[in-house]
Amino acid sequence: MKRLVVDLQRCSGCKRCELACALEHSSSKEYLDVFKSKDGLKPRIFVESIGDRPVPVVCRHCADPLCVSACMAGCMQKDIQSGVVNNQGYEQKCVGCWMCIMACPFGVILTSSIDSKASDCTFPQAIKCDFCPNKATPACVEACPNEVLTVEES
Amino acid sequence: MDTGAYRNQPFDELSAAMHKVAHKDNLDTIYERFAKQQPQCAFGAIGVCCTLCTDGPCQITRKAKRGVCGASSDLMVARNLLLKCSQGTAANVYHARNVARTLKAIGEGKSDYEIKDEQKLRQIASLFGIDGNAPINKIAKDFGEFFINQINSNDYEPLKLVEIVAPKRRLEVWKRLDIIPGGPNSEVATALSKAMTNVNNDVVDLLLHCLRLGIANEYAGLFGITTLQEMIIGTAKPNKGEVNIGILDKDAVNIVMHGHQPLLAIKVLEIARDKKWQKKAKETGAKNGIKIYGSLCEGQQIFNIASEYKDVFFGQIGNWIQQELIIATGAVDALVFDYNCVMPTISEEFAPRYHTKLISTDKTIRQAGVERLEFEPDKAVWIAEQILEKAIISFGKRSEVNIPAVKYSAIAGFTTESVVSALGGSVDPLVEAIKSNSVKGICAVVGCTTVREFQSGRHIVNLARELIKRDILVIGAGCCSSAMQNANLMSLEAVKESGKRLASVCSAIGVPPCLSYGSCTDIGKIINTAVSVADALGVDIPSLPVVASAPEYMEQKAVADAFTAVAFGLTLHLAPAPPVLGSPLVTKILTEDVEALTGGKVFVELQPEKTAGIIEEVINKKRQSLGLKI
Repeated sequence: MKRLVVDLQRCSGCKRCELACALEHSSSKEYLDVFKSKDGLKPRIFVESIGDRPVPVVCRHCADPLCVSACMAGCMQKDIQSGVVNNQGYEQKCVGCWMCIMACPFGVILTSSIDSKASDCTFPQAIKCDFCPNKATPACVEACPNEVLTVEES
Repeated sequence: MDTGAYRNQPFDELSAAMHKVAHKDNLDTIYERFAKQQPQCAFGAIGVCCTLCTDGPCQITRKAKRGVCGASSDLMVARNLLLKCSQGTAANVYHARNVARTLKAIGEGKSDYEIKDEQKLRQIASLFGIDGNAPINKIAKDFGEFFINQINSNDYEPLKLVEIVAPKRRLEVWKRLDIIPGGPNSEVATALSKAMTNVNNDVVDLLLHCLRLGIANEYAGLFGITTLQEMIIGTAKPNKGEVNIGILDKDAVNIVMHGHQPLLAIKVLEIARDKKWQKKAKETGAKNGIKIYGSLCEGQQIFNIASEYKDVFFGQIGNWIQQELIIATGAVDALVFDYNCVMPTISEEFAPRYHTKLISTDKTIRQAGVERLEFEPDKAVWIAEQILEKAIISFGKRSEVNIPAVKYSAIAGFTTESVVSALGGSVDPLVEAIKSNSVKGICAVVGCTTVREFQSGRHIVNLARELIKRDILVIGAGCCSSAMQNANLMSLEAVKESGKRLASVCSAIGVPPCLSYGSCTDIGKIINTAVSVADALGVDIPSLPVVASAPEYMEQKAVADAFTAVAFGLTLHLAPAPPVLGSPLVTKILTEDVEALTGGKVFVELQPEKTAGIIEEVINKKRQSLGLKI
């Protein structure tokens, strides 16, 4: 089971994780292309200001995920082996009903744009942290200059 | 006090009322923009982010102890600080150059101005080998020219302004440290060269250069601005006036003079007196005619000499943070501004929404939708007439007007001379009051207002309240003055908030416990007062029970002013923390080691009550070493 662990004291609020996440999930993976595109940068990790401290808000990949329970299409699933919660790569397709967004207590699920190249869909879908399936270490963890983010396996 | 609790809340009730109006009209103000910028990157906040070259941006992190170019955290911090200090010095000197140019133009008969304080011009010019008995226009031309030449002189020739005007004891200190500056423009250019990628990695040298700039900033900048302006528009005199947004009059054509350079504003005041213009305004429906107000530091400078313009000048409208809120009244028919401290949102969002006509008068300004009427000494009258004409037209375009009803008043116009004359002709009574502990010490509370930490004047006002309670006389300048005026601390009513001993001194001579010296460029006058007191006591500045504080410092001119204070040997309180904490070495030099060199140092404290406690401690320590009772 994989999880992202956050060491709050170390976060400087530089938002490099947001940038790396948005680039990793873009089709071109080029900063300027993404920045200029209609979609803009769409990170799936969010550095928020809480009590005057920067706090990276990440998907917990919950043990009993509310987003999975809420998904009527059966598309949002928790992978039994890795523990990663995501709506991509399964037989059922996201229909864009946004119930997962309603259900998530951490607010880390958002919507893609219609012309998103992330899928072949013609309507917006839910997008969220997928633990970077094409990388050994998630992009945000690699990008963090202060070792705030680490991957915990249990 | 919890800083977070004040987010999005203006300090004074008038600003709060206008903030609600802006909110209702769906306009973001500085408060919302600050909230939307959170969290802000801490690398920049502690000074270890460098964007100088294309191998960057580099940050000093847990993984990387040096930038790509090899710069350490110490070097990054020192270099960044020197760049900010250079920019601040350049800006103050730019202002002084404009005034000197007008002085020279007066001498050449190519201006709309006359010399108002001839005595001052004769006296100061004669210090520099100009014949003080020559015809006044010749002195004006020669001294104006001399001043411009000083600004443009080389950095390998010591600045005459420093050698002649600076106190002898300070000169010795500065000579020993080799920080007597040459021409400020060339010092700035040298500093910029030093701070380039891969040039200088001696942190101490970079910080000493900051001190050089601080001294140049004082003499070629602040001293020049105040002194030369007083020659042209007259010397500050205590006078009572009204303050804050409530002073706007819905039945008048309201013109707000905003910025830092008051020369044009004085012409606007003089021309607005003309019956012709007042009549024209009344014919358009403004039954109270034309009223002129001051905003920011420009307002403070007009307020200083306002005793002769009471018929057309109607007070100080506010400080930097309030500018958008002032426009949101819908009652500002024209906002006329020169360089520094004009938010881009004024021209891009607020003025179009609330009908305000915008006019810029300085060549450094280019803003979309703003009419440019650039100041030239011989075009001042013409520009002033244009301003009045356009303001009257703009009055006809008003829609909804919201002016909060409350009005406060304040006394402004203090300077070394007016303090001395309030004291009966000599600085001795003040020195005696300090000796006898009626006045425990003096704290200059100066500089900007900021929306960080406590926001919009809370630190300034709470600190001033605590200080006067402890019998410490407060001298304000810049937006700090405005914040204190809005809190009613610069009126005689504030005497009852001060400690018993300070209160008795203040009521005896009829002054408030917080004295306004004017704008942020009037900080030079505070140093001048400190020098007079030091001379009377026969000591150097670091021995004085005098402390400086910039409790809500914000931009680069304040960085240059901070180094001026340290070079003069003052203990300086700063909040928020300057971007130096990423370098333990630079932090230690500024907060400890520099005291052994100049006698001055910096301390940072974010809580106003604690700040006052530390200031009192410093003052007590200095009193003790002077052998005065505490």
